[in-house]
Amino acid sequence: MKINIAKYYPLIPVYAVYLTMFLVGFFVPGLWQLVALLAFYCALGQSWNIFMGMTGYVDFGYVTFIALGTYGMALGITYFSQFPGLGIAIIFIGLLLALFLSTLSAILEAGIALRLRGAYFAIACIGINEGLRHLIEGAKIWGGSEGMLYWKELTEVFGTETAIQLTTLWADIAVFIIAAMAAFINVYYMRSKIGYALTAIREDEDAAKVMGIDTTKYKTIAFLTSGWLGALVGAMAWGLKLTHVFPADVFVIHYTVECIVIVVLGGIGTLLGPLVGGLIYGLSKYWLAIILPGFQLLIFAPIIICIIIAFPEGVIGVVKRRVKGTRLERYII
Amino acid sequence: MALLRLENITKRFGGLVAVNDVSLEIEAGESIGIVGPNGSGKTTLYNVISGVYPPEQGRIFFEGKDITNLPAHRRAPMGIGRTFQIPRPFSSASVRENVAVGAMFGTLSGKVSVDECSEIAEHYIELVGLQAHKDKDSGTLTPVEKKLMEIARALAMKPKLLLMDEAMAGMHPRDIDDMVKFLKKIKEDEDITIVSMVEHIMRAVAGFAERVMVMYRGAKLIDAPTAKALSDPRVIDVYLGRPTGEGEDAEG
Repeated sequence: MKINIAKYYPLIPVYAVYLTMFLVGFFVPGLWQLVALLAFYCALGQSWNIFMGMTGYVDFGYVTFIALGTYGMALGITYFSQFPGLGIAIIFIGLLLALFLSTLSAILEAGIALRLRGAYFAIACIGINEGLRHLIEGAKIWGGSEGMLYWKELTEVFGTETAIQLTTLWADIAVFIIAAMAAFINVYYMRSKIGYALTAIREDEDAAKVMGIDTTKYKTIAFLTSGWLGALVGAMAWGLKLTHVFPADVFVIHYTVECIVIVVLGGIGTLLGPLVGGLIYGLSKYWLAIILPGFQLLIFAPIIICIIIAFPEGVIGVVKRRVKGTRLERYII
Repeated sequence: MALLRLENITKRFGGLVAVNDVSLEIEAGESIGIVGPNGSGKTTLYNVISGVYPPEQGRIFFEGKDITNLPAHRRAPMGIGRTFQIPRPFSSASVRENVAVGAMFGTLSGKVSVDECSEIAEHYIELVGLQAHKDKDSGTLTPVEKKLMEIARALAMKPKLLLMDEAMAGMHPRDIDDMVKFLKKIKEDEDITIVSMVEHIMRAVAGFAERVMVMYRGAKLIDAPTAKALSDPRVIDVYLGRPTGEGEDAEG
């Protein structure tokens, strides 16, 4: 099958923004942490969008994947640090564990929650998230509520210098790479049979079945992909960067809500949307905390409401309609 | 071997028997009309055939294979296509994308690339006369355009059996005649067996179907050549009631 390059044009603006962010963060002193935070939000938005944007299912338990990804990295570093010969491979083992754990939880959620629709699906996902957290705390798995701390293990393997490099620089760069991957997968799905199937499912699941679409299969594909990317973000942005994990910090629905806000702000089901949403959300949250410490949430909420009123389909949703029929059309989806 | 064979299909919703012991054989190449007043179980029968829900009793055979317990999404690739009474477009997708979905997951499923599906879609969109709207979101079409789009989408599935549900309801009589001509032509060109279901547009049935099954209160009332079926006194009774009033448009 020949590859149609034009299909991937929409990635150009996405990668341009990511590259700009990266360069600004890298070369402007003092901005790296902000840029890393923005990349984190964008990557999460983009990953989450693959499932919710394309299927219309609102997964409130999405943070489960991020949390388990964090645990994957924690376990990788903690247990494999006894083999210092592995070197950097430990990080990759951590990533594999993140993927493994998120697959397990995806199977669990797909088995229980993906049969449900609408609010029931959302509630079931929250239930699974809370259940896992209390299981880890109650059964004292992986340190229970005391969590895991593995800075020491990390320095034993890599030495302090490299460990600092890994946690303060490479973990963030990895988030950029994951965000870029998520964007690519997004476009790839949108332009393939999978995207058509998921759109049909979002619009009318029963009609989709009659049209020959194996709805369970395609929902599972999107769910797994989205979960894996979330787990990778968790493994890097939390697991490797923070070098600790506590259940009470990671199984927090708040992060799912942030994902929803980011994606809805930017435009559900669009490619650029989560990126724009992540930037708006991250930047306003960050600056408001500096300008009006203590009052940021009070100001933040009305800003979000205003944006949603001005752009009911999300910023990119509206832009997309504007550029329809123009030459920009093929770059903005 | 019949293309589709229904054996004693019964479908209940709680205490309501929506389809009651209906048997039907459709040979390849036939044009059949399924007629019946509102609530007579026609759409339920369609739903059972296309796999939206399983029947409580009875068996369904398609090309000799028992498909009674096959999920809906496995039936479409075998060659069962359908349209819906109330059109169900994938609203946020364009007309072209909607029709491409048909090509992608119908009998050509797995044999054609996404780009090829787009080309197939263009062909059928032109066939039903929607080329001016092909890039519009399907949700913005008029009801009649949505129906046409559904026909294109079902045809793009390259089905062997096409189940049409009230495809002509709401159309102007002149358009109905055009549609009947269109269906006849399509049937020859594409080698499809068409089952068309209508509530009360006899003009469409009489023009199109060679054979008619009339349903009433879930059961089969009559299954006969069109002219004979439509002039049967029982059928007239069902539609018009006994001659007491004037309301000739009664729907039962």
